[in-house]
Amino acid sequence: MTDVLARRDRALTPEETEELLRDRLGDGVQRSVLEFGVFTVWIAQEAWVAAARACRDEPLLAYDLFDNAFGVDAREEGFDYVAILYSTSTGNRIVLRTRCEGGREAPVCPSMVEVYRGADWMERETWDMFGIDFPGHPSVSPRILTVENFEGWPLRKDFHLASRAAKPWPGVAEPKEMDDEGNIIEREKRIGDAPGPYELDKVMGEQAKLANPLPEPPAVTEEGEEVTATAQSADLASDSGKVLAGEQERGLEEEQKLRHDADVELAGDEAEREPTTGEQASDEANQGGSAIAAAEAAKKADDRRRTQAEARAKKAAERAAADESGDDPAGPDDPEGDA
Amino acid sequence: MGLMDQVELPQPVKYVFNWGRKYSLWCFNFGLACCAIEFIAASTSRHDFIRHGVIPFAHGPRQADLLVVSGTLTDKMAPAVKRLYEEMAEPKYVISFGSCANCGGPYWDSYSVTKGVDQIIPVDVYVPGCPPRPEALLDGIIALQHRIQNESLKDRIAGRRLDPVTLGADAPLALEGSSS
Repeated sequence: MTDVLARRDRALTPEETEELLRDRLGDGVQRSVLEFGVFTVWIAQEAWVAAARACRDEPLLAYDLFDNAFGVDAREEGFDYVAILYSTSTGNRIVLRTRCEGGREAPVCPSMVEVYRGADWMERETWDMFGIDFPGHPSVSPRILTVENFEGWPLRKDFHLASRAAKPWPGVAEPKEMDDEGNIIEREKRIGDAPGPYELDKVMGEQAKLANPLPEPPAVTEEGEEVTATAQSADLASDSGKVLAGEQERGLEEEQKLRHDADVELAGDEAEREPTTGEQASDEANQGGSAIAAAEAAKKADDRRRTQAEARAKKAAERAAADESGDDPAGPDDPEGDA
Repeated sequence: MGLMDQVELPQPVKYVFNWGRKYSLWCFNFGLACCAIEFIAASTSRHDFIRHGVIPFAHGPRQADLLVVSGTLTDKMAPAVKRLYEEMAEPKYVISFGSCANCGGPYWDSYSVTKGVDQIIPVDVYVPGCPPRPEALLDGIIALQHRIQNESLKDRIAGRRLDPVTLGADAPLALEGSSS
């Protein structure tokens, strides 16, 4: 390798780099792009290896590290091959990119292995994934990333996934562009468009129209207040709802209270006097001092006796049912009892 | 194996024997992706599956009883898993840990991912999750221990396996094994 003149404080700018490469390669440099801090130089296929050699050996460039390389599916136009080089002396990084010859059928790109040994496995992987052949490479096969008997080139956009043959892609179709009014801009189907069954664009267009309706002029009342019809109806609805709900609630509450009171009374009586219902009734009657009061008290006592008997019968039935279901004390309420 | 592959052990002997086996599971971790990190978390002090008798220091598949496949299994890696499983001595158990090992997970339509480790080796317990928490692995290990406690070693050696358990999909764990 030649002497390295490049230094970090004297690193060439992208413009100077392109000028230098154009000087060495002539028409081999097609164009250059500087975007997102990445300097990309498009190289003609014939000048590919020469460009790599110039980048490595030119003392002012000194790209001594082969950083990365990969293929790009350019759809109908075939495939691109991209190599990224790095200079450890200047800290610059350059992206060399070329369009492979041979279109989609038999893409071919000259191998860089004679310049950078590190390109060896990168090119093998690119062949593995895209099927780009590299004349000058020692041997791109056998496959190193996929299984040896794998068929096809999995990163090509027209590669068919076997799983999706059995179960179609559940997602949406390739999204299309929309203009400002929500109309879809139609374009021809391209290689690699998502084949989803759902036309997301149409649905989204309808939704966009619904979500952004044309503004209606607001209604004006006699006082000059602006009231929209929807707001008015909403107010009415909420008011009437409140009234109804309140009434219902109050009714329910009263009913519950009544029932509760009756229960408490019954329980109290039960505890108070088990055997002396008749006596108590007659006492009450004596205290009242009138035949009507006595009759009423007797009737009340009768009623109580009946409800008590009913409650007792119910309890007995429950106990019998529990005995039948087994000797489980927790009863049927416990979900883990039977496990 | 002597007699054990020819006669059914008496119930008390079987109980003690299986009890001993289930708390000494030498575990071989086949970590393939992020699930392996959860496996490692389960083996360290916080979750600590060693207290369940799972020993994560098997020197190789030949010394292991339990294979935990945790992560995305690719077609390229599948022969290696198959070979390591076959190197393990019977009785051997497999836990499929994580969605990728169970069924391919998010890579269901990938060109290179095997759609579940059960395509190449028999699985005893599936632990779902992406990735599952370490507690899920503990749950899976306990399910496996229930299974070992109740199994017949004669059947196992003869290759008669029970249906695999899928955590969260089958009957509650409390019922697994304690019925029968």
